[in-house]
Amino acid sequence: MMGRIARRLLWAVFVIWATITLAFVVSHALPSDPARMVAGAQARPQDIARIRKELGLDQSLYVQYARFMGRLVHVARAADPAKDHATCAALAGPLHLDLGKSAQQRRPVVTILAERLPRTILLALAAAFVQVLLGVTAGVIAASRKKSVVDNLAVSGSLLGTSAPTFVIGLTFQWLFAHRLGLLPLDGWGDTAFDHARSVILPALTLGVFGAAYYTRLVRDEMIGQLGQDYVRTARAKGLSRSAVVVRHALRNALMPVVTIIGVDVGTLVGGAIVTETIFRWPGIGSLAVTAVLDRDGPVIMGCVLVTSVAVVVSTMAVDALYTALDPRVRAER
Amino acid sequence: MRSIRASSSRRARGLVLALGLATAGCSKELPAPIPTAHPGDPTPRHGGTLTSATFGEIRALDPANMGDGLVPQILQSMFAGLIDYDLEGKIVPDLADHWTASEDGTTFRFVLREGVRFHDGDEVTADDVKRSVERALHPSAPNPFSSYFASLAGYDKFVAKKSDHLDGVIVNGRYVVTFQLDKPDSSFLPVLAMHPLRPVCKSGGDRYSDTWLPCGAGPFKLLPGGWDRGREITVVRHEGYFRPGLPYLDAVRMVFHANLTSQRFKFATGEQDLLRDFLAPEILKFQADPRWKPYGEYELDKQVAGVSMNTEMAPFDNIELRRAVASALDRDQLILIRASNLRPAHVPIPPAVEGYDPTLAGQQFDLPAALEHMKRAGYAYDPVTRTGGYPKPIPYLTYSQSLDEYMVQVVMQQLARIGITLDVRIVNYSTFLALRGRRHETVLGPAFWAQDYPEAGSFLEPLFHSRSINDEDSNNSAFYANPRVDELIDRARRDLDPARRKKIYREAQEIICDEAPWAFTHYYRFYAQWHPYVHDYKPHPMWTTDPTRTWIDRTAGRIAARSIFTGDALAKLFGDGSTSGARGAPRSAPP
Repeated sequence: MMGRIARRLLWAVFVIWATITLAFVVSHALPSDPARMVAGAQARPQDIARIRKELGLDQSLYVQYARFMGRLVHVARAADPAKDHATCAALAGPLHLDLGKSAQQRRPVVTILAERLPRTILLALAAAFVQVLLGVTAGVIAASRKKSVVDNLAVSGSLLGTSAPTFVIGLTFQWLFAHRLGLLPLDGWGDTAFDHARSVILPALTLGVFGAAYYTRLVRDEMIGQLGQDYVRTARAKGLSRSAVVVRHALRNALMPVVTIIGVDVGTLVGGAIVTETIFRWPGIGSLAVTAVLDRDGPVIMGCVLVTSVAVVVSTMAVDALYTALDPRVRAER
Repeated sequence: MRSIRASSSRRARGLVLALGLATAGCSKELPAPIPTAHPGDPTPRHGGTLTSATFGEIRALDPANMGDGLVPQILQSMFAGLIDYDLEGKIVPDLADHWTASEDGTTFRFVLREGVRFHDGDEVTADDVKRSVERALHPSAPNPFSSYFASLAGYDKFVAKKSDHLDGVIVNGRYVVTFQLDKPDSSFLPVLAMHPLRPVCKSGGDRYSDTWLPCGAGPFKLLPGGWDRGREITVVRHEGYFRPGLPYLDAVRMVFHANLTSQRFKFATGEQDLLRDFLAPEILKFQADPRWKPYGEYELDKQVAGVSMNTEMAPFDNIELRRAVASALDRDQLILIRASNLRPAHVPIPPAVEGYDPTLAGQQFDLPAALEHMKRAGYAYDPVTRTGGYPKPIPYLTYSQSLDEYMVQVVMQQLARIGITLDVRIVNYSTFLALRGRRHETVLGPAFWAQDYPEAGSFLEPLFHSRSINDEDSNNSAFYANPRVDELIDRARRDLDPARRKKIYREAQEIICDEAPWAFTHYYRFYAQWHPYVHDYKPHPMWTTDPTRTWIDRTAGRIAARSIFTGDALAKLFGDGSTSGARGAPRSAPP
């Protein structure tokens, strides 16, 4: 058991390392100049050269990579001057994480990520909740009443949901619930916990409706398959109610693919729901990543890549663990 | 069959409803302007917060680090300079009571106002001026404007770290400071009036620091927590501002990353007082609406754009081909891409900039002349038989999410009429900047330039002087070199007489228009709209906004949202918003 966990952790570390190394190489291979983006489109070459040197971008790619990896996770010594760790975040004890300083904002990247990550996680979890709630409910009801009006509505609705671009859904919600009805904030994040809770509803609904449409189809198809199985007939023959059969037996089996997808979805959502964040001025990782890529802000790009890769790896591992809990056959195989 | 039809019909109705919802936001009607509380009373009132928004954001808030185009709007409200630009674009004293210049134009002596206070309460002195200049020009500061001050005595020594102090800035007493130049420089005062050298509080230190809370002597100050990065910034009134009674506003707030639709919705309800980022057709609607027209104004044209042709690379090393392109572009047609913001450009200097000469014809659309230039270039083209012309498609490099993505489609059609075919390649903006500035890399592409200061040299020197050619990061994207143009630009820079400078710049522009390193296409100008309760707002020719004298006279805050649960729900949902201002009940107390 311990060996298997250790292998998974090592594999996770390798995946994260490979991802950020690839991102580092690709971002430096692009024929664009971060110093130019810092200085502005009209800066003079001598000013750009000075800024390039100040940012350490005049060094070779190998030197920059070695410096980045050497600082990424390192051990801080008590004798080190404070300025050596001005851009670090303590991971555990003397173990520090250092992603450097944003070229544009000139602040530690870990500070920027610490501001953005909670907002992104809130949105990701809220969106995932909406997706699962709407998608699973609609899918189960549609499967239980196959070829009925309800089923047709669910199928049509899911088709509309998957076909409509996120920005159309987002702008429609914004116009309807915020501008016309004034029920919810138009955009932003707010200042208090209550504001945050109100502000997350529309972006979460936008993402949720889009995802729920897919979940509806997935759960419906799975449920139809499960409801035709022998064990369902047996359960019914034993006198279990229809709802008990659907919820306690068929749904549990039908949820396995949903669990797989939700794990990947949460990881991806943490990586950034770019369009939704942009429409709703949601200050999360997605909008940060877009700005960083457009500005060629290397340290921030690397920070966003790290967060995304860790989120995907962690959520994938969580899904694996959930599999084991949900399906006795998986436990037996392991 | 019947049930299928019924189902299809229901789906169709649902689809129509959804489409209606999605498009109804683009109502043909505009909201009603929110009126001023005391019509006819011109007495300025204190209080209130002026809110604007932008789809961008500021990255830094320090005069010594201003790499983005938005930050001058905020810096202007926080940092006062020795001199400044007034609403007419003229240089006027600000922290300086007055100044004198030597006859040879190399010495500028400024006498400061006494008793001017920084935001932290300290008095602004000549020592602060010198310290702030050295802080901004020291090589440790990420100041993209540093080299603009290269004419200061001792600049080279200072930026090479061979000296701890800048010899060219001399303190002559508590309130007197002198700037000494190595040679006459007509751009020195225009550049000094910009933000980079504006005095900062002693907390700013002798050298630039990333962790400093910005502090200056302007009409508004930043409190800790006032700048929420990536979201918004709010600056509040500096009670110790040196101009008595000013500013009138309690605070100025700018919201970042606000998409155009959100801004429009918030402007309609009065959550946003100024609107500058428009969905393009709406500018024309606002201008056509008599309720709104008195409260909108164009900003000055400060940007020129065109098609840059690399004079070092084939085929545009052929001057006749460049002339053909310049003559083939129909500017009046091109500007229809965004008629509300563009004006046709025939010369490199925009109309609002010193050196613009309205009598100069410059480059004009002339199709027969363009065909004649093609013939002289050796690529004669017959538009009837569509034979001849340049034999290969010419690569045209542009960038995504830009106006040029649309404009190049019209340019392609116009150049096809003289037998030139374009092969358009689209990259992202940062890649575009890098490739455009790299020598022997980009044959043809869009070019644009915004004034740094309102003088012709701010355009001609970076764009067309051979000194601006570099192997990388070349601002002279046409890699154009003409010794006569170089000599004229240099002469104008040394000449302190505006009338003589204008003649020199005219000659330089005549040569540039004729040799056509660029085919000039348009000037870009923004439009600003505000509610009637916003008074004495006027777009600033340099800083976009200067809220020092703006005041608000408003009875209510945000107009209350309407409920659909009373009256005719559908009418409220889909009806126009034109009465929102009139019907809405006040939600908050008067400011």
